[in-house]
Amino acid sequence: MIALVDCNSFYATCEQVFRPDLWGKPVVVLSNNDGCVIAANKEAKALSGIPMFEPFFKIKKLLIDNNVTFFSSNYTLYGEMSQRVMNILSSFSPEVEIYSIDEAFLDLSGMKHFSMNCYGHQIKDTIFQYTGLPVGVGIAPTKVLAKLANKISKKRVSENKGVFVIDSEEKRIEALQWADINTVWGIGSKHSKRLKDIGILNAYEFTQLPKEWVRKNMTVVGLRIWSELQGKPTIEFKTVPSPKKGIGTAKSFGKKIEDLGMIQEACSSYISEVSELLRNQKSCATYLQVFLHTNYFSNHDQQYSKSITVTLGIPTNNTFILISEAKKALNIIYKPGYRFKKVGVCLSGIIPSNYVQGNLFIPTPRWEKNELMHVFDKINRKYGKSTLFSGLVGTRAKEWELVKEDRSPRYTTQWKELLKLKTTKN
Amino acid sequence: MEIFSSGKLSKIKNKGASGLSKQSGFPSPATHYAEPSVDLHKELIANRDATFYVRIDGDELSNYNIWDKDVLLIDRSLAPKKNDLVLVVIDGEFKVIRFPKVFLETEFILWGLISYIIHYAR
Repeated sequence: MIALVDCNSFYATCEQVFRPDLWGKPVVVLSNNDGCVIAANKEAKALSGIPMFEPFFKIKKLLIDNNVTFFSSNYTLYGEMSQRVMNILSSFSPEVEIYSIDEAFLDLSGMKHFSMNCYGHQIKDTIFQYTGLPVGVGIAPTKVLAKLANKISKKRVSENKGVFVIDSEEKRIEALQWADINTVWGIGSKHSKRLKDIGILNAYEFTQLPKEWVRKNMTVVGLRIWSELQGKPTIEFKTVPSPKKGIGTAKSFGKKIEDLGMIQEACSSYISEVSELLRNQKSCATYLQVFLHTNYFSNHDQQYSKSITVTLGIPTNNTFILISEAKKALNIIYKPGYRFKKVGVCLSGIIPSNYVQGNLFIPTPRWEKNELMHVFDKINRKYGKSTLFSGLVGTRAKEWELVKEDRSPRYTTQWKELLKLKTTKN
Repeated sequence: MEIFSSGKLSKIKNKGASGLSKQSGFPSPATHYAEPSVDLHKELIANRDATFYVRIDGDELSNYNIWDKDVLLIDRSLAPKKNDLVLVVIDGEFKVIRFPKVFLETEFILWGLISYIIHYAR
């Protein structure tokens, strides 16, 4: 059996753990730079008319009118809380696949003698007791079914209390009939629309389609989901995360910026971040994409956006080479006279470092071969992020940096920001 | 103005890698008895994933020996016994109480057990 454990409204509940005054009240979390709502707890979701992914400035009044508390995103806190959850999960199974910041698959095949329902409740209760975070647990013979069971665990709360196990043929069929085809994990909107057009409305009807039809129309990916829904595991368990195929970052500036130098600094800083990730997974990138755009939502600004992809002579993960390439690329796409809102970088064509082929026409510079990046990372790991950084990132005030006006304290990682208890006489 | 002659520059010779003991003289008799130094984290924190920290602001909890600027270690994995100090939530506010023998009239939600109080002595 496989369990899927996922945290309910993770970002919002992370905030609530440390704010008992907000228990049972609507809470939303805004994206980087307070762009839009990216997470809402169930109380906020229950208030109809709070659209997710709408620009914050458009709905700010609506939030205030409805007494919704909003937070800027505090990824440091969410990351640390996520780590706790994953650590606790690993005490319940030797094989844990961390699927995202707030969900993980557990291989429970070794727990044949346990009641799966009890085990699920034990997982749920332990995580809640240790961290204060509510989770839902779905247990089933395959990943796709576990995902479905998890959904059901949350839907009928009074009945299932956050845990649902698909352990019989009746339960499986009932679950499949309950699941709308577009809610099935792995079936995209295009396929689900197509299936609906031919009269397939739920997961059960999908499993009744002939195998050949599924393979022909939905490729081997669709076929896997089809088999998984039948209870036959076909999607492997990945305890080691597969290396990322593309790594990128793009953040809105704290304010609109015209100055190329400032944009270059922001860009260099993002490159430093992503190239470090690249080195951590021991890979190199072949392509570097840089993009730049103005604020789409502004009516009075002139709009401009442009993107460029550079093929690197030799795939690399060297911060300095990548920064200099990005700088050249920026010079090409930058146009003066616009107020820019965002610059972004994306590294792709990612291959393992030890597969990098030399380029006959580009001799490897001597300083790239040496241990510079290695030492660079070592120092930054020891003394903290950005102890050493490229001069191109600049040292002046980072005007482009995020404004996190309503960010909560980093309760679990900073001594200066610990949960504060104002004492009053009992 | 003085003029210094620079003389010949010569490379500083690497006199053995640091960190490696050069086998000159008597080897330390402690080598085989080496142990890591005591680690407060290991001593004070039994369950890292369930432990949170709280900073106290104010002297009103002095009757519990909790003072201004103290740090409380809260271990949520431990079940409180009677008279244990616990962090609870009453009416949406954090409070420190002694875990009651009998049920209090006011309703509270247990947030976690206070396992240690770190107090700055100066």
